[in-house]
Amino acid sequence: MKLVIGGAFQGKLDWAKRTYGLREGWADGSLCGLEEIWSCPGMFHFHEYVLRAMEQGMLQSEQEGEAFARRLLERNPGLILVTNELGYGIVPTDAFDRRFREMTGRICTGLAAEAEEVVRVVCGLGVKLKEAKEEPSHVFSPLC
Amino acid sequence: MMHLITGGSGSGKSAYAEERILEAPERRRIYIATMLPYGEEGKRRVERHRRMRRDKGFETVERYTGLSGLKVPEGSAVLLECISNLAANERYQEEGAGEDAWSAVVEGVRSLKRQCGTLVVVTNEVFSDGFVYDSSTMEYMKLLGAINQELAREADRVTEVVYGIPLDLKKERVSEAKERWENG
Repeated sequence: MKLVIGGAFQGKLDWAKRTYGLREGWADGSLCGLEEIWSCPGMFHFHEYVLRAMEQGMLQSEQEGEAFARRLLERNPGLILVTNELGYGIVPTDAFDRRFREMTGRICTGLAAEAEEVVRVVCGLGVKLKEAKEEPSHVFSPLC
Repeated sequence: MMHLITGGSGSGKSAYAEERILEAPERRRIYIATMLPYGEEGKRRVERHRRMRRDKGFETVERYTGLSGLKVPEGSAVLLECISNLAANERYQEEGAGEDAWSAVVEGVRSLKRQCGTLVVVTNEVFSDGFVYDSSTMEYMKLLGAINQELAREADRVTEVVYGIPLDLKKERVSEAKERWENG
């Protein structure tokens, strides 16, 4: 599993296509069938996939979120997942919005723990937060 | 040793902060909770964090304002969670410091730092959604941003947690004297 995260409009999908050499077969989390995640080689807009699953009554509790992450790691271990990084703003006043942010975070934390690579894309540049066969690289240190 | 931990919501920063306390050499562990539990969701969140701490030997102290007046056992390991709540309480609660919220929070953390051994402080990234909010929310963001900057200066170590992965923003420095000693 590879996880590519970052803010909106940072070139995350382009970065992933280029870096991992996967040009075709990407599922769009904002409109694909919910079953596609178990077999597709790559998915972008994963946070919108989570949103739609929640709207359809799935992923309601923290336990369901954790179970979903485990199942995904088992059933589609080679998946490349591109997602917006949520949770860096003011806590939303709407309860569903709060649960959506929280759920996306919990699932991605579960996936990141087992993923071979976690990359944050900023301005089209990938910063590796976790790399295959190595300890997490604490490479960037803007304050030091 | 003071360690400031930041991150977004759902980033796994609470779990990471607890691990730092469990690794600390001090035997006595104090958890300072600052969140006023509003409604059902608030109670659930508090319960979730309590569950995570259960059986880890934490003594929980609830403190919503006036942190400078809090006494903790000398040489204990203290986890303060979370600055975003403490700042809001000081600024907006009746018993809070109001206009002096910045000083109340910063002095409160300094007071803890003087008393305890390991101090782990959790704060929050609320600054990057790009929305312009009403003036009171913007003022709150400015307050929290200014507090975070001061706490980062005060801290020996600053870490941002991203989906459970720690990124060091500021690393603990070996003191020059120690370095000279070790280099002969």
